[in-house]
Amino acid sequence: MSASTLHDGRTGWYASFRAGLPDRLDGLCLLGLGAFMAALARSRLYWNFLNPKFSHLTLTAGALLCLAALPPLLRPRPGRETPGRLARQTFLALFLALAVLAWRDAALESAPSGSGAFDPAPHADAAAAPNADVPVDLNPVVGNVPYVRLNLAELYIMVDKGRKDYPAHFALRAEVMRAPRLGEHGYVLLRRVAVVCCLADSLDLRFLTRGQAGAEVDTLKDGDWVEVYGRLEALKGADAGLPKLAPRGEGPGLAITNPKFRIQAEHVERIKGADFPYLFEFREKEPFAW
Amino acid sequence: MDQSAFSIFAAIVSSIVLEASPFLLLGSLLSAVLAVYVGDGALTRLSRRGLPAQIGMGLVAGLILPTCECGVVPVTRRLLNKGVPPGAAVSFMLAAPVVNPVCLAATWVAFQGDWRMVAWRAALVMVPAAAVAWVLGGTQRADLLRPTLAMANQSDNGCGCACGHEHEAQHDHGRHGFLRGLPEVLRLTGLEFLDMALFLIAGALAAGAFKAFLPQSWLGLVSGNLWLAVPALMLLAVLISICSEADAFVAASLSMFPRPALLAFLTLGPMLDLKLMPAFLSVFKRRPALVVITLPALTIFVLCISLGLTGVIR
Repeated sequence: MSASTLHDGRTGWYASFRAGLPDRLDGLCLLGLGAFMAALARSRLYWNFLNPKFSHLTLTAGALLCLAALPPLLRPRPGRETPGRLARQTFLALFLALAVLAWRDAALESAPSGSGAFDPAPHADAAAAPNADVPVDLNPVVGNVPYVRLNLAELYIMVDKGRKDYPAHFALRAEVMRAPRLGEHGYVLLRRVAVVCCLADSLDLRFLTRGQAGAEVDTLKDGDWVEVYGRLEALKGADAGLPKLAPRGEGPGLAITNPKFRIQAEHVERIKGADFPYLFEFREKEPFAW
Repeated sequence: MDQSAFSIFAAIVSSIVLEASPFLLLGSLLSAVLAVYVGDGALTRLSRRGLPAQIGMGLVAGLILPTCECGVVPVTRRLLNKGVPPGAAVSFMLAAPVVNPVCLAATWVAFQGDWRMVAWRAALVMVPAAAVAWVLGGTQRADLLRPTLAMANQSDNGCGCACGHEHEAQHDHGRHGFLRGLPEVLRLTGLEFLDMALFLIAGALAAGAFKAFLPQSWLGLVSGNLWLAVPALMLLAVLISICSEADAFVAASLSMFPRPALLAFLTLGPMLDLKLMPAFLSVFKRRPALVVITLPALTIFVLCISLGLTGVIR
């Protein structure tokens, strides 16, 4: 092979590679996003972003994006890098960087306290995860009083609809939120974030909660997780204006404190915390999603 | 759940894009299938019908082509490039995200089986969709569409594909056999998706910034006044850019607002939000884009205020 042939061959390969580069970059963008979606859909952290019922949809879309990446990657067509193309490639790369950062944050937040572990390992049962901690007894009896286990969002939805057939005595798990102006009146807030589709349309639902003799509401700290056995009571008189004193959002969800009812806690147990702090399923009759 | 504002921002942006991407991909796939497998003649026959018939077909086409607003713009561009008249394509683009079985069912569920909300939502979307389609119905395709992003530096040869390659290269736009056309469907799907994903990401960034960095307390200040509540929820719908498949649940949660304001939220969001506006501006030329952006907003404001003042719906 002569030197000139070698030179021509290299020039031809380079020109061909360069002409196909914009197409290949498009392919890489599609592959990157598709791989990210597929990996997240199989991850135990999926619920930090979307309702797990959509994990199969995300996985399918990710796989389809990977397939769509093949033609431009493997058989690129010659074309120029235009400003528009460069813009979309840049935006997608920036989005992927942001999404990886969000994934990392979710992993760190989900890790055991103080471990600092980042373990976004695939979870074999990502879609079923939120229901994994369903208790055996949905109708516990405490102090001879039968309670119905439900989740805070289910209670909120029933009350919001004006229904009267919510359980008279119920048990629910929630995170405690303290606010000084409510604490002066003997109240704490119980909150859960309800996710319908994704984090962007999540709701941070809250009830004012007050204890009675034997209940430990006064000693609860901000961020404690509790299982509260109690009943609903209408907010009356001076207490009717208290929901307006509730602090606004500190998380991703739109914060709403129930304006008409409070929870009267009859028995409170501190718990380790829900495996999944967000709620994804809401039923309006027994058995509730818990 | 103690998250810094930036972490929340990153998570919200990611979740919006991840939630919308499958629907955007579905729209791109549908668009690519139309491009590769459907001959132009089948759709151009529509143009022989009168404008009212075109608009009528566009308004109800969503019932058989379910799509959300995330994916409807590339489908519309494809339909226009395939010769579907603007009256049908534009009315489809604006109405289909709401007038489709998935969205109507979601509204019914979110409002606890209240058929009045479902019916009003569909009706209030159809009116501005028909109005915009009527205004743009006589516009020529060349006066309506910009060249695609990928072709911005190329000559406008009338091809509406988003393939981004030199058109001297071989590229069939005719009908293909299923297997032979499959690689082309995949290629067009990916490139069409990338074209629109730019705007989805831009909208998600804006919506994420709004949700993460702006206070929620202003909501309570305006909910008691119809004249403030309607434009406030219209603005909210534009800013938070939630998919039409999911927005009914958010609207249902804003129970402190009067129903006309909730309807304004539910009808404007699928027609105009932060991810749609740049998409309209990139797909349509300046004048039609302004019509598509302003006319629905004005129509919905007038209709919802009227509904509230007359007490037809409270």
